Amino acid sequence: MLLAGGQGSRLGVLTSKVAKPAVSFGGKYRIIDFVLSNCANSGISTVGVLTQYRPYLLHEYLGTGEAWNLDERGGGVAILPPFATQTGASWYAGTADAITQNLGYLEGQDPEYVLILSGDQLYRMDYEDMLATHKANNADLTVAVMPVPWEDAPRFGIMNTREDGSIEEFVEKPAEPKSNLASMGIYIFTADVLFKALKEDAEKEGSTHDFGGDIIPTLLAEGKRLFTYQFKAYWRDVGTVASFHEANMELLGAEPAFDLFAQEAPIMSNSSTRPPAFVGPKGSVDDSLIDNGCTILGSVEHSVISSDVYVGKGAVVKDAILFPGARVEEGAVVINAIMAERSVVAAGATFGSADEETVTLGDDAVVEKGE
Amino acid sequence: MPKAIGLVTCNYTTASNDDVFLGRPVASMPYLGRYRLVDFALSNMVDAGIRTVGMIMPNNYRSLVDHVGSGKDWDLDRKNGGLFIMPGTAFGTSRTGARFLIRDLVQNRAFFTKNSEKYVVLSTANFICSVDINALIAKHEETGANITVLTKTAKCDGNVDVVTFDVEDGRVKGMHQAVKFGQVAFLDYAVIERTLLLELLDSFAAVDHLDLFEALNAEYGRFRVMAAEFDGYMKPIFDKNSYFQANMDLLDPEVLTELTDARPIKTKAHDNPPAKYEPGCKVSNSLIASGDRIFGTVQSSVLGRNVIVEPGASVRNSIIMQGVVIKSGAKIENAIIDKANVVPAGTELRGTDGDILYLKKN
Repeated sequence: MLLAGGQGSRLGVLTSKVAKPAVSFGGKYRIIDFVLSNCANSGISTVGVLTQYRPYLLHEYLGTGEAWNLDERGGGVAILPPFATQTGASWYAGTADAITQNLGYLEGQDPEYVLILSGDQLYRMDYEDMLATHKANNADLTVAVMPVPWEDAPRFGIMNTREDGSIEEFVEKPAEPKSNLASMGIYIFTADVLFKALKEDAEKEGSTHDFGGDIIPTLLAEGKRLFTYQFKAYWRDVGTVASFHEANMELLGAEPAFDLFAQEAPIMSNSSTRPPAFVGPKGSVDDSLIDNGCTILGSVEHSVISSDVYVGKGAVVKDAILFPGARVEEGAVVINAIMAERSVVAAGATFGSADEETVTLGDDAVVEKGE
Repeated sequence: MPKAIGLVTCNYTTASNDDVFLGRPVASMPYLGRYRLVDFALSNMVDAGIRTVGMIMPNNYRSLVDHVGSGKDWDLDRKNGGLFIMPGTAFGTSRTGARFLIRDLVQNRAFFTKNSEKYVVLSTANFICSVDINALIAKHEETGANITVLTKTAKCDGNVDVVTFDVEDGRVKGMHQAVKFGQVAFLDYAVIERTLLLELLDSFAAVDHLDLFEALNAEYGRFRVMAAEFDGYMKPIFDKNSYFQANMDLLDPEVLTELTDARPIKTKAHDNPPAKYEPGCKVSNSLIASGDRIFGTVQSSVLGRNVIVEPGASVRNSIIMQGVVIKSGAKIENAIIDKANVVPAGTELRGTDGDILYLKKN
């Protein structure tokens, strides 16, 4: 069950028209590609995607799930937006509530285990391995955790564990952390434990219907078998403009922190078929990712460029992320900036600077010269 | 409902001995880093709303079937209609000349009788062009022709494989092989009423070793075959030089836009990362497909998918097909490097402007 309904409000204009999981990433992907590819590469063939905020692009992009080999009969991708019943209709009020409202779908699948995922994180993980841990521990719930720097620990939900990896205590954003193992928001539940916990939580007064805030503490109090699964590879939750910019830049360089070219577990995407990128006679490109369909007549340096981007003659693009269809017209300068889909920096205009924070331009927005 | 079905013949080869074409049908020649030649015929048809397309296959059809699959990438995986993979007669790809061999059409007669659309659009796979087929059908209806053929007046002497029509006032009076300056070249696209095609197949049964338009040679007085002049970019691919030039032509952004924007050229989707330009690389005047990693120098070249140009390597005025690795310090100039080759470190492979070096598929 993939939670993809979040707005990602801290990404500002980048999510003014699309949900965070649908935001363009890495030149050819949308953020949700990473989790969907993990599912496919882990042999999971049934995925429910819970959507709520600005879902059109996300729904269109997901389609039947065929881009991730998830178009199987009797399984595949099911898109699950909020819906009405005879007793009324309500929005998804929390992560747990979103799943509770779709218990009908879940129970219909009759699973033994349920994997709960966030649609807005960047990482490669073999969920099969996590499930093996879950089974070996005979656990009711397994929470994926990763060690974070101690000084950052107070920003996360922290798991205090025993030696065998079982969870002793869960503390949301502790002022004085006893552990540096942060929850990644990735859970494997034994299905009947999940169903029972969700049904009880739904009746509980004062519950915020959140996995971290309500379900996990309740299960701990009930003495259920809760274990951690330690993950040590690359993982990013691109919550802010700065972290989004940084995560894109981490794809660049001779030894990128996240290697898109790694042969095992390829990241799949629902991309359009466009001609190869054209780099013009006076164009130059250095230390960048550039997808198909682009026309680069100016200079591009240390940037991530999505499909069908146009960079005009004499234009300079540096430390920037350009989403599909963005245009940097002749002589324009774009530095330390994120330009969303089909946005335009007009001829001779300047957008962003190396000395200030990363600036963002929303979908279809235009920066004129002198603005 | 679309008013035409399409037929693409893929089972003929060229008179050229150029080894670029050895071992694969022209239809599955890689083009421009990510396409195969058959993509143009299929995309032109699909863009016109045609959703029933038959492909007549050569005997070495593996690469073609691998490419088109169920036709999904061209929206040809339909419940009704869709893509039909059809056998050619026993000529394999050794057959030159005839491209709409009557025998091939007769053998697949069921394709024409089982569908009820009014027209059949015929095409081959070795003309690179973006064609508005609906406009061609409209012209066919407007002139009341029996058959309408897409043509282009040659601006120079052309290839022996290209078919030429003798045309008077827009009407075809005869056909022959090879094209010279000023003659009217056939672009291998034609519109014909389905029922008329069936009648012709019956009446030409005795000469089924001929090309349809060859068999019509004695009948151009009886049937109104009208020429429709094409005014966009087009390139026939029948030999190594035209293949090379057709790639290099696309280094002009205007040609690239004309060919790929008016009508999207659909092709098999691949999951490659974007091309990665490493620190210190130099790339200019080139087309770079996704999945490439460039450390060295690339000038005036077309690179296919998943090519690696190592540090200190250089590629100039060349076509590098998918999966090729150019090891460090290697130098490539005026060359076509076919798929999956590894060019060893320090090697120099140079052709000349007039004589392009070709390194065959590994």
